[in-house]
Amino acid sequence: MTWLNAEESSAPFDAALALRPELRDLYAAFYGKLWDDDLLPAGLLELCRLRVAQLHDCEAELAVRHAEAGVSDEQVEALANWSESELFGVAERAALALAEKMPWQHHDLTDGEYADLQAHFGEAGVVALTIGIALFDANCRLRLAFGTEPAPVEAAMPASSEGPIY
Amino acid sequence: MSTKPRVSSAIPGEEPSFGTALAHQPGLAGAFGQLYGTFWSKGALDHRTKEVTRMRNARVTDCGY
Repeated sequence: MTWLNAEESSAPFDAALALRPELRDLYAAFYGKLWDDDLLPAGLLELCRLRVAQLHDCEAELAVRHAEAGVSDEQVEALANWSESELFGVAERAALALAEKMPWQHHDLTDGEYADLQAHFGEAGVVALTIGIALFDANCRLRLAFGTEPAPVEAAMPASSEGPIY
Repeated sequence: MSTKPRVSSAIPGEEPSFGTALAHQPGLAGAFGQLYGTFWSKGALDHRTKEVTRMRNARVTDCGY
């Protein structure tokens, strides 16, 4: 149970952040921009978000699903063993390799892995992806530190700067 | 860990750095700058507390930058 005195909400993480409204709004703008501006395919971001949440064992983050990102239940099922699964494409595997290492093994990321990412996404794309994975990592750390309760949400659209942060 | 920058500078004439890497995505860089700047310039915590936690976090993540 969270120890924060936030209002009851269907989006408890958002409610906790809203205790500091200025920071909440700027955080939402930052996080939403990642999804709003079509910088990367939503499905790719969603896969990375869920894998980072698995690595943190963050039930509150895992409880959120963005239906329109287009990630299938089969892929979610296979995500913990993505490197052995045939359900992920070459570019997705390169992105998941980054998602795998950033939370706990960031020093083990190799120049070769980063070059592989740049070959798939270009330099601007890989910067967006790295920022995105850092934000997914931050979301989990915040939720776990706040003690945010899991609130299962089937948000139709991926995260947006306009709506709540689920 | 890499011994050389993996991302080039997006700002002509400037050496690769955290800021010039983020500049490959100006929208994200601007949004980050607003959030981070507000965190430092306003809020409930004093500067010393923020700086101590920033430095401790850098140690824990072994980030020499």
